[in-house]
Amino acid sequence: MNIHLKTATDYIKRAPFQAAAAVFILTLTFFVATLVSILVYSSSKVLMYFETRPQVIAFLKDDASDTDIAALQHKLEGDSRIKDVKYVSKEEALSIYKNATSDNPLLGELVSPSIFPASLEFSVKDLSFTQNIIDEVKGEKIVDSVGFTAALGGENNLKDVVGRLKTITTYVRVGGIVFTGILALASFFMLLITITMRIATRKEEVEILKLIGATKGFISKPIFLESLIYALVGVLIGWVLAFIAVLYSAPTIVSYFGEIPVLPKDTLSLLEVFGIIFGLEVVLGSILAFAGSSIAISRVKKLR
Amino acid sequence: MSEASKHLVKFSDVSKKFGVVSALDKVSFEIGHGEFVFITGPSGAGKTTILKLILAELLPDSGKVEVGGVNTGNLKESETPLFRQKIGVVFQDFKVLMERTVAENVEVALAVIGLPEKEWSERVKHVLKLVGLTKQTNLFPAQLSGGELQRVSLARALVVNPMILLADEPTGNLDWETSDSVMELFEKINKEGKTVIMATHNKEIVKKHQKRVIHIVGGKISKT
Repeated sequence: MNIHLKTATDYIKRAPFQAAAAVFILTLTFFVATLVSILVYSSSKVLMYFETRPQVIAFLKDDASDTDIAALQHKLEGDSRIKDVKYVSKEEALSIYKNATSDNPLLGELVSPSIFPASLEFSVKDLSFTQNIIDEVKGEKIVDSVGFTAALGGENNLKDVVGRLKTITTYVRVGGIVFTGILALASFFMLLITITMRIATRKEEVEILKLIGATKGFISKPIFLESLIYALVGVLIGWVLAFIAVLYSAPTIVSYFGEIPVLPKDTLSLLEVFGIIFGLEVVLGSILAFAGSSIAISRVKKLR
Repeated sequence: MSEASKHLVKFSDVSKKFGVVSALDKVSFEIGHGEFVFITGPSGAGKTTILKLILAELLPDSGKVEVGGVNTGNLKESETPLFRQKIGVVFQDFKVLMERTVAENVEVALAVIGLPEKEWSERVKHVLKLVGLTKQTNLFPAQLSGGELQRVSLARALVVNPMILLADEPTGNLDWETSDSVMELFEKINKEGKTVIMATHNKEIVKKHQKRVIHIVGGKISKT
């Protein structure tokens, strides 16, 4: 084993309770960080889901000519705030209705295409544009009325729904970052205390090493390594625990949210998401370890 | 260090004070390559201060300390470790790493000079054989006698093949018989061409080994 790694593991063995406390705090931090990351991922997926599906339906008047409809469709397609414009004829509307009521065929048989208006469905690139676009589309002479997908709750409370979605997403992101930040700060201080105590107990060893010509880097290496071991063990345990927790609750979450893809559908994609989170946590853990041990070292005169 | 320098160690009017106490007062002497020099004197005379000045652990208040042609006063902080790597030190209180085995204590010195790990084993074996600690290779310091601990300290100093070997009261904590065997080792090492500078107040040892003596009293050289 490398001499620095051996020294670092010896320090850990020498004070196992200090080491356990440091690892515990780091585990807690990275457990929460992993869950927050997943929450941020899921909330952004929910937002994206609503942002990318047809939200606005412009119901057309019965007397609207094909030329007028095509002209409006062309106009909407040319609008940079709008995407995925789709014309739904009366027949297609009936077909959608029949599909939606397939569990009760009688409902489908009682209606004819004539009662369904043709419509132009489209998505808005940013939910904040929606109200303006609706007002503009309402002003078109061939448009009878404008509606929204049921998921958004209808035209009247559009602003509320959009606002609520954005607020929740912001809360999740900001709250998650703040909470994780607080825990990361606690971990940082835990590392700082542990490493400072460690350096204090090896004062004589440092003195000997200096006298035989050890550089500051040589003396500091095991200290950095010890910090890094705490951080990486914390990352690994925290991440594994969070992964197990998410895997365990995934079926419930997925069935609750239905078609909204809050979590990746297949295991490989889920692993990919968790892999990215793990990578980022390793980087964050290494930064914490480096910062904690650097400050601890700089505070100890003997190492200067 | 310049190999070409005439004297390995040169003190020129070196003074060192600790507060109001003068540890060395305008001390001048030279030590050549391959010499064995005793620095003697009563406690507090300034023996250890001289060794610390050679090791650049202390810097002179005035005067000049040159070791291998290097003026220690001009050493940058970053240059000090490399400078020290060329000097072996043996301490009265051994200063071994208590949680490392004998071999590991010696290996640390090799790690410090950056020698590749694959070359450690042979050098450690060689030096432990030289100091007579082959059987104790895997023992911890707590399992060793005072004489053995001093040999570990000596092995650690020697393994890096230093230009000078400094010894600060190396027999101070040892009984006469053990001291004698440790001194024989120093003698053997000196005969192989290594410069040895030893601070001691043990007159018996100085008398027995008949080497050059720099005698310090009250921070001044009284005899050299």
